Amino acid sequence: MPVLQYLQAFFADLREQEIPVSTSQVRDCCQALLLIDWANRDYFYSTLFTTLVKDYSYQKAFDEVFERFFNEYLSPENRQYFQSVNSEQPSRSREVTAVSDYDIGMGTPMGKGGTAQAPGGKKNPLQQDFGRISAEELTSIEAMVPLLARRLAAKFVKKRKRNDQNRLDFRRTIRSSLSTGGIPLNLYTVRKYREKPVILILCDVSGSVMNFSCISLALIASLERFFQYIESYAFIDEVSDITGLLLSGNPLNFRGHVLRNARVVGVTGYTNYGRTLEQFHQRFRHRITRKTSVLIFGDARNNWQENGKWVLAQIKSQAKKVYWFNPEPVSQWNTGDSIINDYMPYCDKVFACPNLVELEKSLAKI
Amino acid sequence: MDNMQIMKGKMLRAGYICDDKVATVLYLAGAMKKPVLVEGPAGVGKTAIAQAFSQVTQLPLIRLQCYEGLDEAKALYEWNYKRQLLHIQAVANKNLSVQQVEEDIFSDNFLLTRPLLKSITSDSPTVLLIDEIDKVDFEFEAMLLELLSEFQITIPEIGTVRAQHQPFVFLTSNATRELSEALKRRCLYLYLDFPSKEMEKQILMLKIPNLPPSLAEKVAQVVRQLRGLELKKPPSIAESIDWAASLLWLGKEDLDVETTLQTLTTVVKYREDQEKLERIIYRDRDLNFRA
Repeated sequence: MPVLQYLQAFFADLREQEIPVSTSQVRDCCQALLLIDWANRDYFYSTLFTTLVKDYSYQKAFDEVFERFFNEYLSPENRQYFQSVNSEQPSRSREVTAVSDYDIGMGTPMGKGGTAQAPGGKKNPLQQDFGRISAEELTSIEAMVPLLARRLAAKFVKKRKRNDQNRLDFRRTIRSSLSTGGIPLNLYTVRKYREKPVILILCDVSGSVMNFSCISLALIASLERFFQYIESYAFIDEVSDITGLLLSGNPLNFRGHVLRNARVVGVTGYTNYGRTLEQFHQRFRHRITRKTSVLIFGDARNNWQENGKWVLAQIKSQAKKVYWFNPEPVSQWNTGDSIINDYMPYCDKVFACPNLVELEKSLAKI
Repeated sequence: MDNMQIMKGKMLRAGYICDDKVATVLYLAGAMKKPVLVEGPAGVGKTAIAQAFSQVTQLPLIRLQCYEGLDEAKALYEWNYKRQLLHIQAVANKNLSVQQVEEDIFSDNFLLTRPLLKSITSDSPTVLLIDEIDKVDFEFEAMLLELLSEFQITIPEIGTVRAQHQPFVFLTSNATRELSEALKRRCLYLYLDFPSKEMEKQILMLKIPNLPPSLAEKVAQVVRQLRGLELKKPPSIAESIDWAASLLWLGKEDLDVETTLQTLTTVVKYREDQEKLERIIYRDRDLNFRA
């Protein structure tokens, strides 16, 4: 197959793997290929990678496609072919330019829409549904969690700083201008002091939300490192303070760690939101003040037990904000034993977070 | 010797060891005149790569350290308004026309050039390092985008300043936030990870010329183990260099349990991390750091 079509197929395949490859990137890539020796695998790989991939999380997907296309790349006949192309500079350049022209002409899709994608076809682990991921994929997602926490932390800090738009401290400015003959050389602004919010997180760690709770715990643990005022609690049908438990250890094992070391299982061992809320309110009521935001991570599947929504109403009246993060897509809410509707009136907002991208977006909104 | 090997050799002489992949990106950046976006964990030598590149090309390095709240006044240019005020005071009773005064105070003399403007107006090409780009706001990033594609800056009072020589641009990011697609597309992408044990050994021996190879190997190995643990801040390359140097100063030939405990503070900087490592070392009495 001529180089032109081969590269073209390669780009198409990358897009199929949801790696966004734009036309200008294709042009850059072709331009770069003219500058290097194709016979060296490292150069070749590196050139394609640096021009086509702009995000490290795509590396695995890229490597797979690259392997598939260029594995036999160093076989004698191919090498000879590439070398022959190599030596005929003008023709090669024409050919490569043709590729990029062809690409522009085609107006190829950018692999963004992705509505017709088969489930599981998405290669970016962040976009995979919590319900469907395997243990192996969970590990790879969990590896991204600290990064995500850092991003969120940066966003929160920035938000706080932006709101501190200071007004002019007139008195101080005039006072200091006296020493420069009335010219206000230095402007002073009023500093605002804001109270730091306290965040209480309630996390369901039962089997029905296993993947979600693994990720949530890892995320909470990472966030705890950035915010000193986060307190976290885990529950199944008993609630327990796990703030200290998350301070050390491998994020992968947090769920097991919590299940072993915290008293989260009560009499029945089935998730019981009513009982949890009641207990939480009884034992930790004093922690909830006007400064407190309460975050609940769970699917609101209550195993047909008492919902205890009056407790949530009380918590809401006491706290600044109450947010609920539900790992199920909206279509599954209130089906079976899900009673999210009962709680909805007492939350400032309920988010559907079926995957990590959504979870991050939701968290960024609060 | 092809271009990449030449680049590798030059970088080595500038004190930076890079592999074929990094050399390829650097070579392409030079040949295609495109900015390079360098990402990777803290302490893998993202900033150093630009510094070494400026040495290789023998071009002045202009560095813009980004931080939250960095604005155009700090990055591009600013009118020296204190001097302008003083100037107005000084000419107050000299009977100059308003127009004349205005022309005076909006001339080059009163313009403070900040790094970005400096790199554009410079007489020779420069290496522009925009460090930790992920710390700035979206608005600033958008402005930067214009600069990186057109290499020109518009100053309302003076006009458009176009670059005489396009600078070589390096952007570094710790990925504390997602950069815009448009910015990423404009750049060549380079992801730097911690080096392999072998490469770290080479780096140590390059940076500390009289370091015995056996000690370099041992330090590289232990540091690699440390990075595998869940530490608050895994040791950077600079820290492993510091560690090896301090061992050499102390006259140690080998890295054993006692020495490690004594010098741990040079390589991990957080109290929690130190306690954690001490616990593991006391438990195992060796340096394998099993979980």
